[in-house]
Amino acid sequence: MSETMTYEGATARLEAIIKRLDSGEAGLRETLDLCQEGRGLVEFCAGELDAVGKGLEELRLDELVARLEQRPPA
Amino acid sequence: MSVQPRPEGIAGSSLAGPFPVGAYAEKLREELRKRARVQLFGEVWNFRASKAKIYFELRDGDGAVPCSMWRNDFERLGLQLGSFTDGCQVVVAGGPGYYPGSRTSSPSFSFDVSGLRIAGDGDLLAQMEALRRALGAAGLFEPQRRLPRPALPRCIGVVTGEGGKARDDVLAGLRRRGWAGRLVWAFAPVQDRHAAPRITQALQDLAAVEEVEVVIVARGGGSLADLFAFCDETLCRTVAMLRVPVVASVGHHTDRTLIDDVAAVSCSTPTHAAEAAVPTHPVEARAALARCAASLQTHGRRAVVTRARHLAALSRAPAQAIARHRVALHQRLKELRAATRRRVVDDRERVTRRAGALQRKAGAAAGAQDRARRTALDSLAAALAAHDPERTVARGYAIVDDGAGAIVTSAEQARALGDVRLFFADGPADAKIINKREGSS
Repeated sequence: MSETMTYEGATARLEAIIKRLDSGEAGLRETLDLCQEGRGLVEFCAGELDAVGKGLEELRLDELVARLEQRPPA
Repeated sequence: MSVQPRPEGIAGSSLAGPFPVGAYAEKLREELRKRARVQLFGEVWNFRASKAKIYFELRDGDGAVPCSMWRNDFERLGLQLGSFTDGCQVVVAGGPGYYPGSRTSSPSFSFDVSGLRIAGDGDLLAQMEALRRALGAAGLFEPQRRLPRPALPRCIGVVTGEGGKARDDVLAGLRRRGWAGRLVWAFAPVQDRHAAPRITQALQDLAAVEEVEVVIVARGGGSLADLFAFCDETLCRTVAMLRVPVVASVGHHTDRTLIDDVAAVSCSTPTHAAEAAVPTHPVEARAALARCAASLQTHGRRAVVTRARHLAALSRAPAQAIARHRVALHQRLKELRAATRRRVVDDRERVTRRAGALQRKAGAAAGAQDRARRTALDSLAAALAAHDPERTVARGYAIVDDGAGAIVTSAEQARALGDVRLFFADGPADAKIINKREGSS
């Protein structure tokens, strides 16, 4: 999965894959490849949804800045 | 009026008093009434009417004066309530008034208006429209709209008043959306002369935090004058140049401040702004994702299973072909046997029919021949009977032989023999010829 993948990009690609599969025009090899790619996209999107479903975290801006400043440099 | 004992004053103070507040308020009213009656001009804001009076604020860029006017005086001028809109330019005549209040009512100051004239649209509105045109001409309405907005931001920044209802509305909107990520509050005053720089600073600070993906600017309803901080030029230029999309919700949907024009999205309420900041509904998206996963699984399984079945069918083909042919052959054999049986039966019936016919024909033919033969036989019998020697003998004739069986048919033979045998109808009788032929004896 690409590092720059976004949720909207992933869902758009997923829709295209489902559409291609629904068309019935894909051969066996292409179908299996698309299914594998689609499963990866589903996993990515599920992760994104999990990230905004764990619980609302409220911070003041200064709290966030302080927290970020404490984070060791990458 | 109750008379209260006068308390001690503030120690060390050189000021007169303390005086009763009611007396001071009354004195203040008298003093204000002594001030000169004048004419003022400015823009009408927050116009409202009760049964007895109308109220509004008279403003310009430097200050404001609350005004009130008896409704009778207002209507006597031939003016309509609907002819006043925020920003309307008027000239008023009158003087300052002060209502001292009472134990149960609040004091208030207002400029008591006795005369009023509408002078045209207000400068503040005109300035705002001029700034709107300038921002538009500078292309500042476009940059925010071109920014990609994340469908599912993990971190949202919010600029709003700390104690305002807008804060609760934003939270309610996010919860209604089913969003539960990281929310960063940047509180700022949203209504006074200090508001615009503080809001600008808060926006810049939020945009400087890398993980903030979208910013909501929210303020509840109020008069357009109350919302003027959001028409500040510096604020609007800052919003237009931010790296993150800004979702604005300022005032009611009827108000349109300049930040609404430069923001990526303009919403009518803070609740809607929260929903617009999260275009994807997480709960619905999760359901859609589950459908996608199921669809992928179905397609993958079907692709393999279908082809596996096809291969299995192909591998079974020879045996199936033989079995099919065997069944067909067996069927044909049965048909052949049945046909043969039918043929035999038919032929037998046909032969039987023909034999019967022939028999009938033969019978018919045989009868005719028999009759003919019988007739012929009868004729022959009759002829034979006619020549039968026994019948001749029966009629009295006798057959003569020589005793050895040879028939004697002439007298000469008889005489030559001398002894002959006569055969009569009832039997033979030997005879002797007595007149033998002369010379023969």
